[in-house]
Amino acid sequence: MNQRALNRRDWLRLTTGAALSAGWLRAADGIPAHPRLLEFPPLSFEPPEPSKYRRELAHGAVAYLVEDHQLPLVTVSVTVKTGEYLEPEELTGLASMTGSQMRSGGTTSLSAREFDEEAAFLATNVGSSIGDTSGGGSVDCLAANLDRSLELFFDMLRHPGFDPQRFQIAKAGVLQSMERRNDDTGGIISREYRRLLRGDDFFSTREVTKATLEAITIEGMRSFHDRYFHPSSMIFSVSGDFDTDDMVKRLNAALEGDWPGSANPQVPDVPKPTYQPKPGVYMVEKPDNNQSQVRIGHLGIQRSNPDQIAVGIMNYILGGGGFSSRIMSRVRSDEGLAYSAGSDFSPGTYYPGAFTAYFQSENSRCAQAATLVLGEVERIRQEKVGQDELDQAKSYLTEIFPRYFATAGQVAGTFAEDEYTGREKDYWKNYRARVSAVTADDVLRVAQKYLMPDKMLILGVGDVKAMLAGNPDKPEFSFQKLAGGKEIEYIPLPDPMTMEYPKKG
Amino acid sequence: MLLAATLSPPPSAAQDVEPIVHTLSNGMKFLLLPEKGDPNVAAGWVAKVGSVNERPGVTGVAHLFEHMMFKGTRTIGTKDIDKDLATIAELDKVRGQIRQEEQILLEKYRRGLIDDPHDPAVRSERHNELLKTFAGLIQSQRELIVKDEIDRLYSSAGASGMNAGTSNDMTVYFINVPANKLELWFWIESDRLLNPVFREFYSERDVVHEERRLRVDSTPTGKIDEQFDAMFWMASPYSWPVIGWPSDLEGLTREEALDFFGLYYAPNNITASLVGDFDPDVAIALAEKYFGRLKRNPRQPEPIRTREIPQLAQKRMTAEAETRPQVTVRYHTVPDANKDEPPLLVLGNLLNGRTGRLYKSLVLEQQVALQAGAGVNGLKYDGYFELVGVARPPHTPEDVEKALLKEMDVLRDELVGDRELQKVKNQQLAGDFRKLKSKFSLMIQLLSYDALGDWSNINEFSDRIQAVTAEDVRRVVRKYFRPENSNTLIYYTKDAEGAPAPTEGPQGDGGQQ
Repeated sequence: MNQRALNRRDWLRLTTGAALSAGWLRAADGIPAHPRLLEFPPLSFEPPEPSKYRRELAHGAVAYLVEDHQLPLVTVSVTVKTGEYLEPEELTGLASMTGSQMRSGGTTSLSAREFDEEAAFLATNVGSSIGDTSGGGSVDCLAANLDRSLELFFDMLRHPGFDPQRFQIAKAGVLQSMERRNDDTGGIISREYRRLLRGDDFFSTREVTKATLEAITIEGMRSFHDRYFHPSSMIFSVSGDFDTDDMVKRLNAALEGDWPGSANPQVPDVPKPTYQPKPGVYMVEKPDNNQSQVRIGHLGIQRSNPDQIAVGIMNYILGGGGFSSRIMSRVRSDEGLAYSAGSDFSPGTYYPGAFTAYFQSENSRCAQAATLVLGEVERIRQEKVGQDELDQAKSYLTEIFPRYFATAGQVAGTFAEDEYTGREKDYWKNYRARVSAVTADDVLRVAQKYLMPDKMLILGVGDVKAMLAGNPDKPEFSFQKLAGGKEIEYIPLPDPMTMEYPKKG
Repeated sequence: MLLAATLSPPPSAAQDVEPIVHTLSNGMKFLLLPEKGDPNVAAGWVAKVGSVNERPGVTGVAHLFEHMMFKGTRTIGTKDIDKDLATIAELDKVRGQIRQEEQILLEKYRRGLIDDPHDPAVRSERHNELLKTFAGLIQSQRELIVKDEIDRLYSSAGASGMNAGTSNDMTVYFINVPANKLELWFWIESDRLLNPVFREFYSERDVVHEERRLRVDSTPTGKIDEQFDAMFWMASPYSWPVIGWPSDLEGLTREEALDFFGLYYAPNNITASLVGDFDPDVAIALAEKYFGRLKRNPRQPEPIRTREIPQLAQKRMTAEAETRPQVTVRYHTVPDANKDEPPLLVLGNLLNGRTGRLYKSLVLEQQVALQAGAGVNGLKYDGYFELVGVARPPHTPEDVEKALLKEMDVLRDELVGDRELQKVKNQQLAGDFRKLKSKFSLMIQLLSYDALGDWSNINEFSDRIQAVTAEDVRRVVRKYFRPENSNTLIYYTKDAEGAPAPTEGPQGDGGQQ
């Protein structure tokens, strides 16, 4: 049989034409001429039902427990309502230090070294951390060692020792990494882009400094821990080789009795930013690099937004879909301007997230790549996306869906996180239907509504002179042009220990 | 130890990994491991080729080749294969002429007549004409290309995580495929081995150059680490970076990539693996049907001839970079499959972690370092062991170096205790179960073990670790950790322009009482 090449349009015609069966194009070896002609058996998958795994525990704690007996391993994680947003500005770094020192500093009955040695001999991994809007811990052990491993885990959660020597070493480590915070263009661009989006008066842009680090004390960590680590604000996710009823008993036993500072405080909600970003072209000088980093974007949407799914599909086509996306196609495949290029439009959980396009490119070619990115933003706002692009994006999102629930750990973890962040009921149940319902008109509408060319922040970090000079072979591309007559703003590097920025001029 | 009574050691027998092995008549091997669980298959294959198989002039070709494998086939990625191939031939021809012009400029540059061979101002008129012709051909080729169609086919089928990786010794291609669409993997992967078309070669070469800038050139220590590797290996082809030297990336041709393909991408140099939800009989039938079409290359790639020569004198490199003050001491050891590798790995685990000797001694007790650890790197033909430490000011990298070497002296003189050794073995046993947790990582491990020797080492390796004795550990310390076998890299901190000098930590504040 003729092995002629089929392009996409041919294929669409062939498969929609009822008279043609795929078998017609099968070669003598039974291999179809194009992979689009393969026929697959249906795969039915329904997402698991959260209520099936949810159990209420002592003192108002909650657990999602998903058994999986294939391997003799058990993982227990806990999420606690706390976070960096709760630390006073003058103690920036307190939450994260408390999170790491809970694990590092032993307990009130086991020295740091005893705790470490015992966990290591059992081959049990225990951890704790506090991030921007949540905190918690985890234990991962052989089922045979579950008893002692859970004891260690709860001892850490309930009676952390905050060993002074470990604390002192951790502080020296933070101080040393502080010194190095202006070394790497990747680190600089994350920080400065966040500042451009959120301003300096928001918890997510506050940075630990020498002064705030020195203000952190063991007593401060202890009281931060005591204020937030209560059963009433704990959500557990448990997966692996255990029996659910037995595990619930064990967790309840561990949760009963008095916890330190048992007052059960009302934990404030995550605040919302009020800052309005100032559009424009911004540059940070980091010389002696032959490649610069660029980000382009503006404020985005919140998870509760009903357009969230359509925005996700729009961004998949624009720059979120890896090699299948337009930005990657133009910037990388067509022009070879960058190794990684794309865009992110993740909705924020507690407040609006951001739209961010990104790439790294050889200095003189950054302006060209930025122009291509902005051109794609403009195009998706002007023209309806093609049906094939839309179908592909939707098909990816619906077909990959079972992977979100691939393991017992993912199922338990997803449901625990959903409860913690208050995700809408039936989100997963309705997810695929909502994806399937998105049309090309929807994509155009959300592109016009949520992509805002006049609000764009354009930030470059690297050899500014070379970036502004551009490529002598392509003088039509320049940052000056992208600034549209406005001044390009220079952001100086801050003193890494105080995070004070030199005054301009 | 006060805790001994409460400890129950982990079960002593770990689970073996037992894939079904099926080899096609063309020599391509399949490792098939059906596993219950979600409706998905982790699928991949490894070509037993890496940067070790390159030679000067074409460094980076194994990795660039990995990129080219995503550019499509005679069927995938094009709207008109005949026009496409004609354009590719035309592009190669013009590129060859441009190369001649570049050679003229490089010769002028060598003689010092021009400062920058890349400066457009130094190009001849003919050079500019050729570039214009080339750009025109690229434009017309774009009309024929279906962009990144391999990715589009896979992702619209719900396959995820498609990628590939190149190391010194191997090139791996992998993806997760929904269980009902496994045949799609057989179709695409066999087609790109049977009918590959390396279109968009020159822009992809630029992409790889950007990758080099990203990973090596623009990181604070990338270029120096690369030079340390080049100093460490003297004769061995491990001395050049997997991503290639910049001059070679600029000069590589499509013909050179094609030569590489013919020899190293023959089925008799490839192993594939599937782990997940599938019927092995169906998979074997599909393997025969799709990959059975590939022709064996009667010329089997030969093992690398050039062996590293024994190091006779200490080597040392000191560098300034925008990084923390630190030291690496690296010793030549053995290939991954060597009998000394298990004791070396046990040694590494005795040194590493919160309860490892280095953290306890250098960080907690002596407080000369903020971090300290060991690394073991067993390659196919050779290997190394390294000690690393980050200085805690006012201590210097040299102080850390001394402290690291002192720990090795202790291990040279005294046998490690039973409990300490048992701790490492317990962790290995638990690790044997943990490594089975992810189907994807199991698939990658099977391929990797097979590329370095044989897949069955995944099981034997665990047994060999459990058999390591305190005497074995002392023996390898004495054998490899000799001064004349050492290579030291010291980093002093160079501060960014205008940044204030680093200051010492808040000593004693909340510290030891």
